[in-house]
Amino acid sequence: MLLVTMAALPAQSPERGQVSISTQRRTGPPAGPVPRLPDGTVDLSGVWVGGGPINDIEREGGLKPGELDALLLPSAKALMASRDVTMEPHNRCLPMGVPRTTPFPFRIVQTPTHKAATHLFILQEGNIHSYRQVFMDGRKHPPDLDPTWYGHSIGWWEKDTLVIDTVGYNDKFWFDRRGTPHTEQLHTIERWTRLDLGRMENKVTIDDAGAFTKPFTVTFMATLSPPGDELMEYICQENNQYGVHTIPGFNPQTGETKK
Amino acid sequence: MAMRMTIGCLLVAVGALFGMVPVVAHHSVTGEFDPNKIVTFKGQVTKIEWTNPHARIYVDVAQPNGSIVNWNVELAAVSALVRNGWTRSALKVGDTVSVEGLHARSGAPIANARSVVLPDGRKVLSGTVDQ
Repeated sequence: MLLVTMAALPAQSPERGQVSISTQRRTGPPAGPVPRLPDGTVDLSGVWVGGGPINDIEREGGLKPGELDALLLPSAKALMASRDVTMEPHNRCLPMGVPRTTPFPFRIVQTPTHKAATHLFILQEGNIHSYRQVFMDGRKHPPDLDPTWYGHSIGWWEKDTLVIDTVGYNDKFWFDRRGTPHTEQLHTIERWTRLDLGRMENKVTIDDAGAFTKPFTVTFMATLSPPGDELMEYICQENNQYGVHTIPGFNPQTGETKK
Repeated sequence: MAMRMTIGCLLVAVGALFGMVPVVAHHSVTGEFDPNKIVTFKGQVTKIEWTNPHARIYVDVAQPNGSIVNWNVELAAVSALVRNGWTRSALKVGDTVSVEGLHARSGAPIANARSVVLPDGRKVLSGTVDQ
């Protein structure tokens, strides 16, 4: 099946002698049944792209225009109004938080043990090299957590869906480039379901009484990257020139612009 | 060799940037670069930075008065360029290139590249190599 797909692609690249990953991605994710581990559990391993918001959590998450904005508390609305895209923590190579994603892929890895997996890791290529750690061993969230970019995640399986429950976030990351805000009260419940070989749905419930009048659910799709694609080094701090000479009055340390 | 600045074709330019070509940036391009200010210039490559979050090339551009301006040209992330099939040998220091891109909002000689073209017409380091 896969070989047939590859053969149908355009002529070989003169540069590398193979069809680029980007071209293969454009033909769509590979088709096939959901792969499973020997014990019957769904196998989520692989290199994935997407599965979260980038530009606009409301639109990309499948909500109606204005639906999410209507849930913002006045304080959150004011905070969002004070933000513009040049102030994004992202631009200064800070982590993207949850459920946001980037155009760069991530790999899901489950640690095998003599029993079941005790940890699940989401290894992220960008926007900075980072990882999410999900405890799969049945533990609970600790009562008093220091606020962090990725919070404290516990996971379990509900039939074929991986549920990741996370609390203990800081309020520093943005859900999207519009600056949709949250507070340290944020609680996310992600439901990752591999629909087939090439597609994985992420249905996320966002509960944050500090920013929204009620919880809401947004849905995203991750796709499997073509065979041969691997995570690559992406050191965002290496040569990040964001705003340094491009935006008048921009302070790269704080992300603020002197008007 | 004189620098030429073209303003116009906004929708086409933005369409090409975000639609046709799989540009992967770690940030929103328009915060730093003005999509209404398309700049085009030709010159010699003085430096190549095969780095993240963006690869960059620096291009010496001769001015009508004889002086030289060194343009800083922002490309996609290295990982994106490689996934598009490019290698760091696609361009060498000393190559002459024609660049078209979005000008920095500050007006400094910094551009976010839409296209980088060699004298023989080959487009490099933008789009995919097999396109």
